[in-house]
Amino acid sequence: MSRSFLFIPGDVPRMIQQLEIFSADSVILDFEDSVATHQKDEARNLVESFLTQHHFTTPAIYVRINATDSDEFIADMQTLKNLPIKGIVLPKASLAAIETVTKHLTLPIIALLETPSGFLSLPDIAQHPSVEGLLLGAEDLAKSLDLERTVSGEEILYFRSQLVLTAKAYHKYAIDTPFTNTTSDIGLLEDIKRSRQLGFDAKAAIHPNHISAINQHFSPSEAAIHEARRIMTIAEKQQSVRFSLDGRMIDKPIIDRAKKTLDLAKRYRLL
Amino acid sequence: MNNIVVGSLESSDCLMTLSPHESRKITIESIVYDAYYEAIHQAITTLLDEHNLHQVHVLCQDKGALEYTIKARLKTAILRYKEVRS
Repeated sequence: MSRSFLFIPGDVPRMIQQLEIFSADSVILDFEDSVATHQKDEARNLVESFLTQHHFTTPAIYVRINATDSDEFIADMQTLKNLPIKGIVLPKASLAAIETVTKHLTLPIIALLETPSGFLSLPDIAQHPSVEGLLLGAEDLAKSLDLERTVSGEEILYFRSQLVLTAKAYHKYAIDTPFTNTTSDIGLLEDIKRSRQLGFDAKAAIHPNHISAINQHFSPSEAAIHEARRIMTIAEKQQSVRFSLDGRMIDKPIIDRAKKTLDLAKRYRLL
Repeated sequence: MNNIVVGSLESSDCLMTLSPHESRKITIESIVYDAYYEAIHQAITTLLDEHNLHQVHVLCQDKGALEYTIKARLKTAILRYKEVRS
């Protein structure tokens, strides 16, 4: 599981060859919106050349392809079929688009939800076995729905909640939309906290400077780790799923949550 | 035929320009010329050989590109060059 997903334009070598130093858990090399139409082939060849020479376990590498109904889709598929990547990010996700991709590649898919019709078929998308996560694409969605984007993000609250609910129902990762303002640190922190409160597992970013804050807030806090350790110590010592701690009743859901907290802490090397 | 231009003059990139020429000609301008001229020349020559391209002028304006970038930019330029000439 990743806390942070950093978009990197697929045609900028200066960014691509530094992808390890940004501390993102996952990197999304982009063939789509950040690459001009006349430079799509440049991005494909650059990413292919880079990943042929450099293999990564950390960060996990994803590629955002062009939409399945675009002129670039087949060339994207041909480029990716032999590359060592973790998965693809599918823009304008729909069930039909997912099935089109799976005819070419067997890689895990992160479905980018950014159209009204995509949201109407969210459960079908989430249930598809190739889909490992749902990513909210708020900017394109807002454009389609004539929503005015705000720093507080009230206009996308429904879609954030809907995505988290559906992702959790089908045991897929819920990944929040990037915070697109690159100058407001306060706005970024508030946006990240809102993501956590709503239940997202991770957050995407379009600027490397956002990764540190995302990783920090999507990691278990020191207090949470301490509490989880106490709970698990007693649970294991007493071989019990029901006991009292500091006047508070502890039962199985709380023990499960404590175990998950410690698992995440280990994964993110906080223990 | 217009020149084929791929890449950029940004840091860590290179600008690859291909144009028809009576024989193979390779021109390299690089900020790391003394240290990497031979390696860049070899990478270009190898790729031109693989694509059987002999009557072309390759101008590589290098801004500190790594080998994977030089190969990728040249490959893109070669494929566009061949497409235009076919």
